[in-house]
Amino acid sequence: MSILDRFVSGWREFRKDGYYEEFDYAWTMTIDLDRCTGCGACVTACQAENNIPIVGESAIDKGREMQWIRIERYWEGEYPNAKLNFIPMLCQQCDAAPCETVCPVTATYHNQDGLNAQVYNRCIGTRSCAVYCPYTVRYFNFTDHHWDAPLEQQLNPDVTVREKGVMEKCTFCVQRIRQAKDHAKDDGRRRVRDGEVQPACVQSCPSEAMIFGDRKDASSRVSKSMNDERAYRVLGELNTRPSVIYLKKVDADAD
Amino acid sequence: MANVDRREFLRLVGAGGVGAGAGFMLAESIKHPVEYLIPYPVPPEEFSPGIATWYNSVCGMCPAGCGISVRTREGRAKKIEGNPLHPVNQGRLCALGQAGLQVLYNPDRLTGPMIQNGERGDDAFVKATWEDGLSRTAERLAAARRDGIYVLSQGVRGHLANLFELFMGELGSDRLLHYDFAHPHPLYAANKRFFGEHQLPYYDIRNTRYLLSFGADYLTNWLSPVHHSLGFGHSRQGNDSSSNDGVRGRFVQIEPRMSISGAAADEWIPARPGTEGFLALGIAHHIVADGRYAGDDASLWRTALAGWSSGRVAGLTGVSEGTISRLAREFARAEPGLAIGGGAAGNHTNGVDTLVAVNALNYLVGNIGKAGGVVFNPDPVTGGSAIDRQANYRTMQNLIENARDGNIDVLIVNNTNPAFTLPRASGFREALAAIPTIVSLSSFMDETTLMADVLLPSHTYLEAWGDDMPQPGVGFPVGAISQPVVAPLYNSRSTGDIILGLVGKLGFNEAIPWTSMEDFLKDGWREIYERGSREPGDFDSFWRDVLVSGVWGENARRGGSVVIAPGVIEGMAVSAPRFSGESGEYPFILHAYLSTAMYDGRGANLPWMQELPDPMTSIVYGTWVEMNPATANEMGLADGDLVRVTSEKGSIEAPVVLFPAIMPDVVAMPIGQGHDALGRYARNRGANPIEILAPETESASGNLATSATRVALVATGRRAAPVKTGGESRQLGRGIVQSTGSRSAPAGHSAKLNSIPIIVESAVVESA
Repeated sequence: MSILDRFVSGWREFRKDGYYEEFDYAWTMTIDLDRCTGCGACVTACQAENNIPIVGESAIDKGREMQWIRIERYWEGEYPNAKLNFIPMLCQQCDAAPCETVCPVTATYHNQDGLNAQVYNRCIGTRSCAVYCPYTVRYFNFTDHHWDAPLEQQLNPDVTVREKGVMEKCTFCVQRIRQAKDHAKDDGRRRVRDGEVQPACVQSCPSEAMIFGDRKDASSRVSKSMNDERAYRVLGELNTRPSVIYLKKVDADAD
Repeated sequence: MANVDRREFLRLVGAGGVGAGAGFMLAESIKHPVEYLIPYPVPPEEFSPGIATWYNSVCGMCPAGCGISVRTREGRAKKIEGNPLHPVNQGRLCALGQAGLQVLYNPDRLTGPMIQNGERGDDAFVKATWEDGLSRTAERLAAARRDGIYVLSQGVRGHLANLFELFMGELGSDRLLHYDFAHPHPLYAANKRFFGEHQLPYYDIRNTRYLLSFGADYLTNWLSPVHHSLGFGHSRQGNDSSSNDGVRGRFVQIEPRMSISGAAADEWIPARPGTEGFLALGIAHHIVADGRYAGDDASLWRTALAGWSSGRVAGLTGVSEGTISRLAREFARAEPGLAIGGGAAGNHTNGVDTLVAVNALNYLVGNIGKAGGVVFNPDPVTGGSAIDRQANYRTMQNLIENARDGNIDVLIVNNTNPAFTLPRASGFREALAAIPTIVSLSSFMDETTLMADVLLPSHTYLEAWGDDMPQPGVGFPVGAISQPVVAPLYNSRSTGDIILGLVGKLGFNEAIPWTSMEDFLKDGWREIYERGSREPGDFDSFWRDVLVSGVWGENARRGGSVVIAPGVIEGMAVSAPRFSGESGEYPFILHAYLSTAMYDGRGANLPWMQELPDPMTSIVYGTWVEMNPATANEMGLADGDLVRVTSEKGSIEAPVVLFPAIMPDVVAMPIGQGHDALGRYARNRGANPIEILAPETESASGNLATSATRVALVATGRRAAPVKTGGESRQLGRGIVQSTGSRSAPAGHSAKLNSIPIIVESAVVESA
């Protein structure tokens, strides 16, 4: 079988409809834009949980910021009718992720929980995945990062510290998912309970705009939330099938 | 109390244990004088390697008093989350609160006592011992005139506040001041004038259907932002048919420059700065004139409000008559509607008048003491009178004058930084030079500490014992104990222990017999326990329970009818705002606001906060001037042009940022940057707009009228575009943020999600 044939047959096998639904969990997040205030608590929660480095002013000026979740803001209209809309943007954990198909070393792949995973020590830093990501949520380590002592004492021992030349992005706090599965196993349960895992951003959100859970469990909060009539996916027309689902902001004064 | 019981909480924190009283036990296990090749040859008792231990405590980053759960691993703090049991924040926490870890592990902390060895301000400190530092301080205190001793602390509550009182009592000085830049003096004064209330009430945003906010950025920095955010979220989408009839709350924000709360609102209304009170009276007039108020005192109100017709108010405020009458109708109909006021609206020279007028709105729609309205708080269980110690601008001026006149012998400063948060025109920095002895208990070398002679650095809040009774409360008494979550990193001591150390040196042991803050705190809580809080078991188990759950509450709500202070209706009026500077020479009103990340400047030394993009502009690491795009265009200014902002009292430079939601004659600047001390992350970055504020005061409360300064903008001809993380600030038809007109669609409607249905399989969850 030629490389191309293998590629095509693999593509067919792995891209068939509903393929990922056969996996254990389908971790999903909903973000209610009618609740989100844009306060940024999720951003700091993520930085603390995931050992995201401080890159410094000049690096940000070069577009090299590191924020696995960020608050995007979009203005609408002009004074005095200007409006500002916020949207938290993070890796959408696409089921049909464009970044996965392009990695030459399979450093990014889809795991059994429907997560778009990143293997840091496999990554060779081609940055192709970042180019292919329509949400621009992948962040590259252009340099080795440094924590002024004793700031390094805060680093989360459950999360790797990444080095220069490696791509990184939101993991849905995979370390917390792993831990919850272990607890379930220790308790003799087959599955993690709804609400048992909360990524750092969801946990911190002051207006409770975010819900996280398993969409395979029809009774989970996230399943109910994603079936809200306000649900939509960002850039849904690209058919990337994100696992992050947004609930539309309500414009009470619209027709 | 909160919606999680203690067992539930233990389950929630799952993996790790929940600890009580870590710090000092850990001290020995972590700070071994020798380093072992194999860690923990003698295993410490408080934790198992690899398993997280959580400690509940109290956030010390702003005065809201949220409960926190700190995750520790191997004796180090890793993550701060909200304590799910604490009724203020219910498990949630803001960005600044979470950055508390970088206060603890900040590389620029003061590591032990020091003595000034050069000219003040030189940073020529030499190391000293605690013995030396405390003795020197005690000597100076003993030799000082009694009324020449000033203690200037950040706002403290609970037992630490009590300890300060006892200490001052023994010293024989009444000059104990708490100073917080953002303390809402006008709000306290307004509630006192209108309701005769000493404490702030609880504003029930959660259950309101219509919020009229006059300048209060309640989602970012007003009183208790995390609690308000919870309420906001619930009011928006948390109501189903079983609660509040499924009504989605409507939010209206009245302010000259759109804040986070303005962006979250359904309607943002710019009213001329300082005229917010007129608008409130105009709405009140409309409610009464429409016959929507039927109380016994209706005729009094009609007379008092007669002069505030929509037409006149529209002329004063720039808000159209139609809008005023619509707001009045909607607000009165909402049942319950809620009006709040603060922020820039309270910080004009007529701030108290404005906030009294806002209270009148609440009174007229009858929401006092009701869900979704204004609920009075009982007095905190202890330390409640500390609020009277809060120094307003007038009090600080008094201190400055006393210093200049040579009436101050010793000034003790505890973790407050007036050298940064008072305008240059106040003369505070110069006045410090006239005080012979300044002792600072700050954990950092801030601008005020730089001027000190003796440094006795205090622990950060994550290393110290303490407690907190949140103010404003949540309608019932709540207390929480702050416990050390890690062993102290350095040779610092808790503020309480420093005071007790001075007590020992001065021989006040008879009146203040405690030797540690922990003992003092424990004895204080024994009183709370013995007062009959009906907890089962003995005190020790009560104490442990409070430490483990991190919070204590009493089911004691205020009842009784609403009485407003006599004469308040007849005296209902709002004076015209005064501004410093002529509008010809200084065409813009400066709107200096507390930034999301840095609050009043205290977050500037935290790298996470420096890199947290400002939500409205996505700017990091800097200070900027927000301008209306049309005004900037007229002046020939473009985004990123460096301008000189000049008031009557000084000038600073910052780049222009075009901001679509700001009034044409207002420019806004965030507070927080512009430090000349406070460590490597804060120093020499941006500019501090407080510096150029004119010392105008709010007439009734004596507070600094921070919104009352006019400025002129002059282009420097240079460019200094601020560093941003955001890209294009318009959607350009991409439909990234989508909105919908209605809250609910017909039943049976399934999610389409841009035409690709998500297959939801049936549950495979086993019941546990």
